[in-house]
Amino acid sequence: MELLANLFQGFGYLAGVQPIIAIVAGVILGILAGAMPGLSPSMGVALLVPFTYGMSPQIALILLVSIYIAANYGGSITAVTINTPGTPSAVVTSFDGYPLTQQGKAGIGLGISLVSSTVGGIIGTIILIFFSVPLARMAVKLHPAEYFALAIFGLTTVASLGGKNWPKAFLAAMLGLLINTIGIDPISGVKRFTFGTYRLFDGFALIPALIGLFALSEVFTRIEESKLEKDAETKYEKTQWPTLMDYWKLKFTIARSSILGTLIGIFPGAGATIAAFLSYDLAKEFSKEPDTFGKGNPNGVAAAEAANSSSVGGALVPLLALGIPGSASTAVLVGALMIHDLVPGPLLFVERPDIIYSLFAALLIANIVMLGLGLFGARLWVKVTVIPKKILLPAILAISIIGSFSVNYSFFDVATCIGFGIAGWILKKYGYPGAPIVLGMVLGKLAETNFRRAVIMGGYEIFFTRPISLILLILALLSFGIPLYQTSKANKKTKA
Amino acid sequence: MKYIMKIYCTILSKSSIIQIRANNCYTTVAKLDRVSIGHLVKNKEFFMKKSFVIFLLTAIVSISLFAAGQSEGKGAAAEFPTKPIKLVVYTGPGGAGDILSRKFTEIAGKYTDATFVVENKAGAGGIVAMEYVAAKKSDGYTLMYMTKSNISKLVTTDSELDPMTFDWIAQMQIDPEAVITNNKTSVVTWEEVVADAKAKGGDQLWLGPAAGGLDHVTAQAIWKAAGIEAKWVPFSSGGKAKAALLGEQGVTYTGNPGEIIGKPDFSIAAIATAERLPQFPDVPTFKELGLEGLENEVMWRGFAVKAGTSDAIIAWYDDIFEKVTNDPDWIATYAPQGNMLVHKTREEFNKIVQADYDAYKAAKQ
Repeated sequence: MELLANLFQGFGYLAGVQPIIAIVAGVILGILAGAMPGLSPSMGVALLVPFTYGMSPQIALILLVSIYIAANYGGSITAVTINTPGTPSAVVTSFDGYPLTQQGKAGIGLGISLVSSTVGGIIGTIILIFFSVPLARMAVKLHPAEYFALAIFGLTTVASLGGKNWPKAFLAAMLGLLINTIGIDPISGVKRFTFGTYRLFDGFALIPALIGLFALSEVFTRIEESKLEKDAETKYEKTQWPTLMDYWKLKFTIARSSILGTLIGIFPGAGATIAAFLSYDLAKEFSKEPDTFGKGNPNGVAAAEAANSSSVGGALVPLLALGIPGSASTAVLVGALMIHDLVPGPLLFVERPDIIYSLFAALLIANIVMLGLGLFGARLWVKVTVIPKKILLPAILAISIIGSFSVNYSFFDVATCIGFGIAGWILKKYGYPGAPIVLGMVLGKLAETNFRRAVIMGGYEIFFTRPISLILLILALLSFGIPLYQTSKANKKTKA
Repeated sequence: MKYIMKIYCTILSKSSIIQIRANNCYTTVAKLDRVSIGHLVKNKEFFMKKSFVIFLLTAIVSISLFAAGQSEGKGAAAEFPTKPIKLVVYTGPGGAGDILSRKFTEIAGKYTDATFVVENKAGAGGIVAMEYVAAKKSDGYTLMYMTKSNISKLVTTDSELDPMTFDWIAQMQIDPEAVITNNKTSVVTWEEVVADAKAKGGDQLWLGPAAGGLDHVTAQAIWKAAGIEAKWVPFSSGGKAKAALLGEQGVTYTGNPGEIIGKPDFSIAAIATAERLPQFPDVPTFKELGLEGLENEVMWRGFAVKAGTSDAIIAWYDDIFEKVTNDPDWIATYAPQGNMLVHKTREEFNKIVQADYDAYKAAKQ
């Protein structure tokens, strides 16, 4: 009960003008950063760090975590409205969010993504508050062999992502894995496919590639299929918003995805994107009508958004309990804490409980503020869908270029973005989806480095002698095999 | 016409005089100018024909030369800086190097009106930033934050960049390498690490950042000196390797003493310095433990500009770096982390960099 008393005091710290302004400003900036392709949550946080030097450590931290939380939601706005995920994890949101918009139900997609994000964020924070110490102890025990198995398990979601189109989805994922091999090998430092240029030492940056594959390829496709001058003026129709009943129907999906998202967020190096992919897959497994996924099923949006927002709470677990950052954004938070002479770690709970508990309180309040601002904002975002194409398409093009440039202030990244855009457009024409490429790029490094690390540590048999790793690998085999078996059976039936 | 010509002549001669003053080569320029003016004045016909255009051109060129000469002369003289200085950081915003650089600019602001603008150029472990700075002018307006890992990166990636493309003007921090253990396990002290290594016969696991980097090279030197064998398990960042140490997935982590602050589960088994650190009085050095040749395994941090920057500008920087080194805020921020705060200027620092580069090259072969 001491914890509740502390938490109550934490809310007390926030009772002031400054903390509230910090939360509101943080949430607004976070939503904008998230919605801007090219600004990932970690970059949004990092860009604001210099502005916090003059603030008290509490206010600084409150501002930064508010940005972090809101940016994870913000990515879904552009994913739903214009099929341009603002953050890597929002790729999954676009699977069902954009089809909803195409059916004229952008309001449904936006509403569900907002509410799922809020609920997910709150569940993640509650898990963080009550279980951070034991969970962090558990997370550091996870062996590289298990990370590898987790990554493989993540890759099997390709089978369900692809549906009947699975061979093409599979090839696209392989392409993502191959793209991942470009650059300096992370274990032994060998240069692979760098063609003598240092610009390829880190391989292709994920965010420009993502913007290219999703936003630019979409622009190219639409330019190709429509005659712009004849494009009729879209009338602003009254948008449909989800009712309370619609939200209630999603309760299990949101709860399941939030818990899974938090747990995956805890493991250093896994993160929001993988959490979103796995939750989506899980929601599909549990669904009575898995065929509607990818065609505008609200459960898909809810699963992705609840998972990526709850992973924020998870990522803070190792940071606060152990002083170890588990994600890019929390690594930036470490830096921000150090500026204020605060060293993250278990001692902070003892030395500065005021900081910790006001942080917890701020996380809860920021989620609620996000809901309020989001409900107001959604009325604006939805109007994006009625912007005429001849204005919207060049605007997306410009945002894509600026976004990819802003990642590293590098024109190489802009070229990467355009290259991936053209490739994505051609692949789409022949029915190869872009999402498995992203999945391959996200999981490839995790799988490869952990595979090799595990082998250094315990030889090849280690994957089968560690129970968790073995279970995950068997699950991977099943979740890959079963959908394939079912589709091939279904195909035979239709032929016969 | 004569009148106009006279005016031009005066402009010409005036400009050349000032220009001469700036460039310190009075005789040559003055002679050239007089000949050409004299030539034009004598051959009136030639002058009347094509003349005006040519003359005008001479005047413009001369005046612009004068302007250029003046500004250059001014720069070399002492008026540095006249525009913001770019401080290039090779990590993204929020990383340790970024924070150090921003702290530096904040403190330097107390002592100079110059504006520093931090620019993050992340990528390829610092090569992107180094290539970027190498392509700039040697005018002192681009300063770069550097660490010893930049040197190891040049070697491990076979970069064509020579470290002497840069003038290493200030070494600011020396952070000794340390072997860190998990005190919840039975292997905590250095003696226990050695005994465990011998018992495992080469299968002891040492965790740390990327292979071939500073920590890995240090670990290899320690194994050699102690006569033990172990395996290096590289992680994508020091933080993830420390998480693995907490999870008892390996026996040690190689890093810097400051990394255990605020984390009660970690202990330092030994540090690679000649003497014990005042911040960690209980931590033995390798020398005390009977290991030779490990007195100077350190990570350093400092700043460089492009080689060829003038002495006057470097003297300006020397002054700033000296003031920052002695600043109480700088000391209060970095001393508790186990750093040795120093200010080594270019003569010494360039030698250190060359020696480190040669050592990495030798170690690679």
